[in-house]
Amino acid sequence: MLTALLAAVAVWSLLVGAFPAPVPVVTGGLLAVVLALHRHEHGAVLHMDHLARNSHWSKVNPMLKTMSCLLLLCLCLMARTVWPPLSLAIVLAVLSRAGGVRFRTYQALLAAPAAFLSVSALALVWTYSASDSGWISIRFGTGYLVIGAAAQATARLVTARALGAVSCLYFLSLSTPLPEVLEVLRRLHAPAVVVDLALLIYRYIFLLLATCETMRDAAASRLGFGGLRRSVRTTGIIYGNLLARSFRRAQACFDAMESRCCTGSIRFWTRPKPVRPMHAAVLCLLVGGMVAALVCGG
Amino acid sequence: MSRLEKRILAFSMVAAGVLFVPQNAFAMHIMEGYLPPHYCVAWGVLSLPFLAAGVMHIRTTVQQMRKTLILLAMCGAFVFVVSSLKIPSVTGSCSHMTGTGLAALLFGPTCASVLGLIVLLFQALLLAHGGLTTLGANTFSMAVAGPLLSWGIYQICRKMQVNRKAAVFLAAALGDLFTYCVTSLQLALAYPSEQGGVFASTIRFLGVFAPTQLPLAIIEGILTVLVIMGMESYARPELREIGFLKEAAQ
Repeated sequence: MLTALLAAVAVWSLLVGAFPAPVPVVTGGLLAVVLALHRHEHGAVLHMDHLARNSHWSKVNPMLKTMSCLLLLCLCLMARTVWPPLSLAIVLAVLSRAGGVRFRTYQALLAAPAAFLSVSALALVWTYSASDSGWISIRFGTGYLVIGAAAQATARLVTARALGAVSCLYFLSLSTPLPEVLEVLRRLHAPAVVVDLALLIYRYIFLLLATCETMRDAAASRLGFGGLRRSVRTTGIIYGNLLARSFRRAQACFDAMESRCCTGSIRFWTRPKPVRPMHAAVLCLLVGGMVAALVCGG
Repeated sequence: MSRLEKRILAFSMVAAGVLFVPQNAFAMHIMEGYLPPHYCVAWGVLSLPFLAAGVMHIRTTVQQMRKTLILLAMCGAFVFVVSSLKIPSVTGSCSHMTGTGLAALLFGPTCASVLGLIVLLFQALLLAHGGLTTLGANTFSMAVAGPLLSWGIYQICRKMQVNRKAAVFLAAALGDLFTYCVTSLQLALAYPSEQGGVFASTIRFLGVFAPTQLPLAIIEGILTVLVIMGMESYARPELREIGFLKEAAQ
């Protein structure tokens, strides 16, 4: 509810003055309604991993996806007007939908960045000044809170860029399971020890999450989370125990690897995914369109 | 715009500022696409030497003792899990630990920065917190500056014979606060305000994120102390193995 209100105020302050009177109010109001209707949910921690593995785009060559997403990200940051990043955001949202991510889920995923974006857009737009110049000014103590035209333009551009970039990130992470991204990093000659470490961490995350969940359930069923004092204590004890257990588990893993004559490097089999002309064409079209938009005025 | 409208707007902004900001859980991650390109590159380059030192350190340690790789991986997974779960907080909002301070205390600041980089990459791709273009800036604030300060404070406190619990608390809490200050500075450098420049802008960003971060730093400190105490009672041999309890062993 508060997110909705805040986002509405943020959108209103981004648009006011630059557009005819009804536009800012209507846009802000619509956004508020959309956000208020959706509930912020804290589902499974690794929801995105699940979505990536079930995506229709998970059959596309990971190198192609990663490289084009990175390219789009860079192009997005170089935009000088609002429209290229915003249209990119819409196209990529539609592509993600076609990949099998429900619109509702996508919106829920956007909630956290939207909150950050609203707060910082407000911080960028409103300045404290001694005189009441600018589109809107409100008396505040001895000076004025002012929306200036220049600050507003910057804030609008930053918000648009961030939205475009987030949609690039989401397209990548909702279509590519993490081990494949790490495989791409290995191909790009990232230090082997780091990639090995990352692969091991990815696998252990599932182990530790399951253990942690069990311990939290056990603590909760013994009323371990009643009141702030007790919950801080319980959480600390759970985390301490989790780390102690994970170290013990590391010993077991190490023994298992030694007994199988592990020589140090850790490799997993990855399914080969050849580059299909269709996929390459679509992604090239996106990148090409973005470059064209940037060259012709954006 | 009439006077009443202005009043209502001002009131709603104050209300939103007071009530909403504590809910902004991931204030310390700069989101994807928020920084201009040259700042992304600059912060990335700035954290490179620390990462290179970390990689070399890990490589030599792993060659000597292969088990360290597994221990580090477990610690990294622990940091990720801890930073992805809700912790109890004063305002009833959802906040999360950073956990990199703990890694710095256990394994040293250079190892912690490599672990932090991996965890930040995972957070960007699995949880959509932070981002790929802002990875450099986030790495600098959360995986280099914070852990370095935590480790430094812990070492100084040990030299000065301060109680271990107090030292751990100070290290974790101040490391957390420092991370938040660096993040505010990064945002302000990228977007200085028209009047007052970088300094005024820093103050503004510090102010916007303060209601979440101050209580969070204290809770992070308390939790880190509890974790270390738990480890001391359950996993003394392991702590001695990674060199954290050297003094106690002698």
